[in-house]
Amino acid sequence: MSEDKSLFTTLEEEALICGRCGSCRSDCPVYNVIGWESSAPRGKISKAKDIFSKGKQVEISDEFIERIAQCTLCGACSSVCSAGIDTRNLWLAIRKRIADEGRAPEAYKKLRDTLLQNRNISSFSNDDRLEWAEDLDDEPEGLELKAGAEVCYFVGCVSSFYPQAAQVPITIVEILMKADVDFTTMGGEEWCCGYPLLSAGFVDDRKPFIEHNVAKIKELDIHTLIASCATCYHFWKHDCSPELEGYDLEILHATEYLARLIEEGRIELNELDEVVTYHDPCDLGRNSGVYDAPRSIINSIPGVQFIEMGHSRADSLCCGGGGNLQSVDPDLAAKISDLRVKEIKETGASIIVSACQQCEQMLSAGVRNAGLPIRVMDISELILEAMD
Amino acid sequence: MKSLIIDQLKQKLGNRATDSQFESSLYSRDLAPVPNLLVNPLFNTAADLVVRPIDTAEVAEILKISWDNDIPVTPRAGASTVYFDSVPIKGGIVMDLNLLKGIVALDESGMMVTVKAGTTWSELEKYLNGKGFALRSFPSSAPVASIGGWFCMMGYGIGSIKYGSLLSQVKAIELVLPNGEVKQLTSDSDIPLDYLAGSEGTLGVVTQLQVHVRKLTSMKHYLLKVKEPDLSRVVNHIQGERMVPYNIHFSDQKYNAVMNKLGFVADEFTGSCTVAVDYEGSEDDLKAADAVISEMMSGDFEVELAEEKDANQEWKEKFLALRLKRGGPSQLGGEVWLPINNLNHYLDTIKEMDKKYTLGLVSYGHVATAEHAVVMTAFFADERKTIDYVLKLSMVKKIQDIGHRYGGKPYGIGLWNTPYIGYIFDNSQLAELRARKKELDPKGIMNPGKVYRPPLLLNSFNFKVAMNILAAVSRAVGRGNRRV
Repeated sequence: MSEDKSLFTTLEEEALICGRCGSCRSDCPVYNVIGWESSAPRGKISKAKDIFSKGKQVEISDEFIERIAQCTLCGACSSVCSAGIDTRNLWLAIRKRIADEGRAPEAYKKLRDTLLQNRNISSFSNDDRLEWAEDLDDEPEGLELKAGAEVCYFVGCVSSFYPQAAQVPITIVEILMKADVDFTTMGGEEWCCGYPLLSAGFVDDRKPFIEHNVAKIKELDIHTLIASCATCYHFWKHDCSPELEGYDLEILHATEYLARLIEEGRIELNELDEVVTYHDPCDLGRNSGVYDAPRSIINSIPGVQFIEMGHSRADSLCCGGGGNLQSVDPDLAAKISDLRVKEIKETGASIIVSACQQCEQMLSAGVRNAGLPIRVMDISELILEAMD
Repeated sequence: MKSLIIDQLKQKLGNRATDSQFESSLYSRDLAPVPNLLVNPLFNTAADLVVRPIDTAEVAEILKISWDNDIPVTPRAGASTVYFDSVPIKGGIVMDLNLLKGIVALDESGMMVTVKAGTTWSELEKYLNGKGFALRSFPSSAPVASIGGWFCMMGYGIGSIKYGSLLSQVKAIELVLPNGEVKQLTSDSDIPLDYLAGSEGTLGVVTQLQVHVRKLTSMKHYLLKVKEPDLSRVVNHIQGERMVPYNIHFSDQKYNAVMNKLGFVADEFTGSCTVAVDYEGSEDDLKAADAVISEMMSGDFEVELAEEKDANQEWKEKFLALRLKRGGPSQLGGEVWLPINNLNHYLDTIKEMDKKYTLGLVSYGHVATAEHAVVMTAFFADERKTIDYVLKLSMVKKIQDIGHRYGGKPYGIGLWNTPYIGYIFDNSQLAELRARKKELDPKGIMNPGKVYRPPLLLNSFNFKVAMNILAAVSRAVGRGNRRV
């Protein structure tokens, strides 16, 4: 069996196939916090079976909607399902049914309105996409919409609009400049990738976003796209295929591209005396299979002692920040993050590195609340620190 | 159930107790896809209250209250069986034990781990591996099955052929009796340890166990393609060799064909049975294992060795048995504790049954002891087609009857295998078990309706008559289907 191939058929069929074995339960971060069967994947599927799979659909209860929203879409349940159910796709299909009935959580509806109005997840105008660039020492030429650039950097909504994540694009751009990479961004023409709509159940609404972004990439004659957001990367890689058919576009996560620059000798790294651990973002690791690039970057920095956490790679724990969970249940998201922070603490690391601004936000809050003397960094920041 | 008691427990346990119908309905089933129309008229599977105690003291307190008020209590952790072992059939309290989780102590020199009962086998294995140790055996449902749960079942699984039953690996347990009294049990205690093995939650709640472990060693995996007539002989030969395997798993030809159709088994495995053999041990042990396999390959067995990558993949996928269900969407079957010597006879008769009823029966299993294997014979069904599904349920009895003909018996009892109690125990064994139940749970509050005797409507005679009628109808319908 190909590990990458989804066997997903329909919501109705997959819910019937589930044997309620519960292999999914121990790995589910939501179940590990809430603890009731209804919060475990098998419990949710059991309810979904009763609602959708027995011929005539029965009424969807508020409790079920709440439980379906209480999921980070981390994919841990998919990777261990003993019946081979692509549960991540199953959750998306259920959220779509709920949204189709007009029963999506209010937070999702607000998110949708914002996206349709602003083309991004914030309350800011999309024209402000490059505001973070004002903090660059030297703004490079061609930062915005340079046709034919070697690389286009897809910044993502969170890094573009939220000050706590702005350091990520600044760092990436500084590294690309130091490595003499011919790059650009889509500036105000970058729209949200569309994932927040997909994960909220508004599946059809994501289409104009994909079409717009793909059209711009083609218009700019871009053939390598890098994303520092693990979810944008996953979305570009897995959900834009029809629109990209016939067009030669290499889609890389920033870690893959930066690892390549290091391997090619375009980035030189100095010694850092630090103990570093790495958190695999779910959409980069388990859901996209990128595990080695970030580890290769960390291990290429002289002096760094790298320690894996108790759960790593495909087995990694979620940070709590995925699947729009924060918008509906921030308290649950924070408690999931606390489980990961506990593992970070056990490594004794001085730096926790990740490769997703959302994970970094979640872990920063968790580390701060736990009062730990640990720096939370994006992997690009670690590289830049070693370059200085 | 007295509403006062519900309120009292809800108040005490806060958000660790619920009487919400949305929640408790999920505690009214296990893996068994038995239609509501067969369950609901006979049993009250709806818990009045589901509680999640956090430690032994809370377990004891809840049991004491239940004892004083004659409230049935059904313990539940992984709920990964199919016999309703952890499903209430008289309402009352369901005690979810999953919060009793974690490692209490590891005695490295004594090779012994003390673990809370709700910890899963996979969690314990991960912990032990990190310390250079490993489990001696574990169930094929290790990702969800709890340590205490498997102990209260029969406790034969992966590793049992080499290290014996779980009972033989457990030194002591902490048990809360139905009246709330906490006891430490060993093989020499007033209540001996072996009372609890296979008791299926009917004698009390196990809250902690001391389990022997082994040093973490290397493993070597082999996958053999075996011609069907040689299956028993090959399995017997391998398990009888001087180097005892850690695990032997086998699948019949039809299983491989179905799994091939579903995309999980390569074409090259479709024309034969497969036997996966796994060894663990020192470098010398693994060399000896290699010699066993090599010698067999040069013997007169109809066997072919698959590539190492396939053998490794087979081991890696050891917890993915439910992929078979993708051919369903529902799956029914019978699990039989069968003498290995009769494996071929059993499979031949199963084939005959399949010709008669056209069910598409597939069989697979693992060797549990030097003499016995646990064999699952399964077939597809569709629970949405209720009448056809109920008719097909009668085929499960046919499978058990074939097993019984060859010295087999159902593996596990719970509720649904109580009609076979005469297959499983002789009269003196049954009398002994009933005496234990009377001694430890005279009020009968612990997991009532399970193990010791079938409920009236499921008694052996009624069950036999009903199943035979259903089987006859099923056969007639099957013929009709074939004509179409």
